[in-house]
Amino acid sequence: MNHDPFYWGRPSDETYGHYNHAIANAKSQIPTSHTQQPIITGTSVLALKFKNGVAIAADNMGSYGSLLRFNNIERLIRVGTETIVGISGDISDLQYIERLLHQLQTEEEVYDSDGGHNLRAPHVHEYLSRVMYNRRLKMDPLWNAIIVAGFSDDRTPFLRYVDLLGVTYGSLALATGFGAHLAVPLLRKLVPYDADYEKVSEEQARVAIADSLRVLYYRDARSSDKYTFAVLTFENDKINVDYKQDLKVENQSWRFAENLIGYGSKQQ
Amino acid sequence: MTTIASEYGNENNSVPIEHRFNPYSDNGGTVLGIAGEDFAILAGDTRIVSGYNIDSRYEPKVFDVGDNIVMTANGFAADGAALIDRFKSAFKWYKFDNNNKKLTIQSAARYIQHLLYGKRFFPFYVSTLIAGLDEEGKGAVYSYDPVGSYEREQCRAGGAAASLIMPFLDNQVNFKNQFEPGSDGRVKKPLRYLSLEEVLALVRDAFTSATERHIQVGDGLEVLIVTKDGIKKVYYPLKRD
Amino acid sequence: MSDPSSINGGCAVAMVGKDCIAIACDLRLGNQSLSLANNFEKVFPFGDKTFLGLTGLASDVLTLKEDFRLKHNLYKLREEREIEPETLANLVSSSLYERRFGPYFVGPIVAGLHSKTNKPFICGFDLIGCIDFAKDFIVSGTASDQLYGMCESLYEPDLEPEDLFETISQALLNAVDRDALSGWGAVVYIVTKDKVVKRVLRTRQD
Repeated sequence: MNHDPFYWGRPSDETYGHYNHAIANAKSQIPTSHTQQPIITGTSVLALKFKNGVAIAADNMGSYGSLLRFNNIERLIRVGTETIVGISGDISDLQYIERLLHQLQTEEEVYDSDGGHNLRAPHVHEYLSRVMYNRRLKMDPLWNAIIVAGFSDDRTPFLRYVDLLGVTYGSLALATGFGAHLAVPLLRKLVPYDADYEKVSEEQARVAIADSLRVLYYRDARSSDKYTFAVLTFENDKINVDYKQDLKVENQSWRFAENLIGYGSKQQ
Repeated sequence: MTTIASEYGNENNSVPIEHRFNPYSDNGGTVLGIAGEDFAILAGDTRIVSGYNIDSRYEPKVFDVGDNIVMTANGFAADGAALIDRFKSAFKWYKFDNNNKKLTIQSAARYIQHLLYGKRFFPFYVSTLIAGLDEEGKGAVYSYDPVGSYEREQCRAGGAAASLIMPFLDNQVNFKNQFEPGSDGRVKKPLRYLSLEEVLALVRDAFTSATERHIQVGDGLEVLIVTKDGIKKVYYPLKRD
Repeated sequence: MSDPSSINGGCAVAMVGKDCIAIACDLRLGNQSLSLANNFEKVFPFGDKTFLGLTGLASDVLTLKEDFRLKHNLYKLREEREIEPETLANLVSSSLYERRFGPYFVGPIVAGLHSKTNKPFICGFDLIGCIDFAKDFIVSGTASDQLYGMCESLYEPDLEPEDLFETISQALLNAVDRDALSGWGAVVYIVTKDKVVKRVLRTRQD
């Protein structure tokens, strides 16, 4: 063995010939590759504000194009004690973001230098939006659309979106991907005006999200009926996180399909 | 001595890129600034879109950035937010470094030119407006193109429905194509400062008209009014279709 | 800019008033940014109280003007009466749709009063003849965005002829001043039941 640390881990000269250092310095010769397209993807994330909290849901599927590649992807990430981050889009980028968020959580909780300041949803969202926008600037985006659900410092419900371009916005009802087309109209039907989320009860919100997930399962070919549902509530001066995994889309009925006409060639 | 075949061969150099990431999008919306004698306003609708989707019905885009200056950057929302963030942080440092000196609107205007031109080769895709009072206390509106070319004006519309609103402003604020009755079109209607009430009426008319004919405009209108006494915010609902 | 409908530039607008209509156009003809003529009218009479405005590719404007003149003459010979604005609208629509897959690059508008009832009528078309029946106003041409903004804010229903003239003129003038491809003069027709007034407006010449 060659004991010079410079040669550790390199192919041995006896077997492979002298190491060509041009290989290690090849960076200048080949182009750096950036994410050009998402590979394994997660579909919609849905979220809705209600009177004293936020509900957020996402299914557990990871698609490889039209192939059902994984059915056990967890796309709702808990950050700190009272924030949920829902991520759609590229799963490898999701896992990278997951690592960033856990790092952020650790830094905030373990190396607490700001006297017990809590990491809340607005801060998590701000952090993520900076990460996303900076990656866009480098023309190397994280191929995701993200919804952050939680509470502001004054404990009012917080719901905000950020995507691969760094575009951010808030609303009483948010959904990514297909959900923006199919779920948002259903959720908005419950609360047409942004300020009126206070008129929606937790139960109404739960039902609206569950109904929307069912519609998405009917119509979004890249969705699954197994999902995770998180409901965050603020009650009696404390925050409760009801985080349920492995839920099933219920009350399915395909009877409506009998009456559908107008797609493709005429039946009968 | 030769090496074994590796993945670093120069054949990798010529692999064509299939699809280029597009770092921009259009989030619609429209904005408008008018300067009066002792006030200025900046107004913007509160809708944010992507394609044919209304993503949010209330996402304000006109901001108080300090020292009685209001600012908006309309177009690609992420760049708009980034530009305003950059200005706010520069403003903070200006106050810190200069013993809390007041930032005049001229200086703010010139600085924003540098923020925009600094990204000349990867521009902020926005039409930027700022409004406030000048050193004489007169209303001032400055408008910019995406790479920092700027000008002080009496009024300016920006964003998706700028082409609908701007001729209306020419006509109603600067009295373009208006003449003294009986002068056979030879004596121009003299310019005068509009009152705040007149300006707000024009702004509301401009936005209801734009809402009617432009799909990316609607939901709500938020107006920031700058006077020597500070900044006031008013909101008017717009059609949501 | 190789878009055929914005090579030559120009625009037109029509409005409905109380028992009257107005139709107006600019006078510019250009080749991209080069202005060529300031006498290129885009509104043509068809009978006493019916008008057709044609914007878009100038060669198509002239071709269609002549085509519709021919068809209008044949209509008069066969029917022995003037063509109604509604009829002209349908004639324009079907003529354009005949060229569905090789269209004329025009944006026509029709405005007129019914020959007997004097009921105001206006409408506009896309280049393949889809009719837009409007109660208030119709715009067309390279300054259409600007015209929409002006008309939507200045227009009110049931204007008397004099006020309608002022409204359509201000709408057109201020719109063309914000369009580099329109302007260089303007013409306004005010049509009432017993009179047609044609006015040529003084405009900016830049």
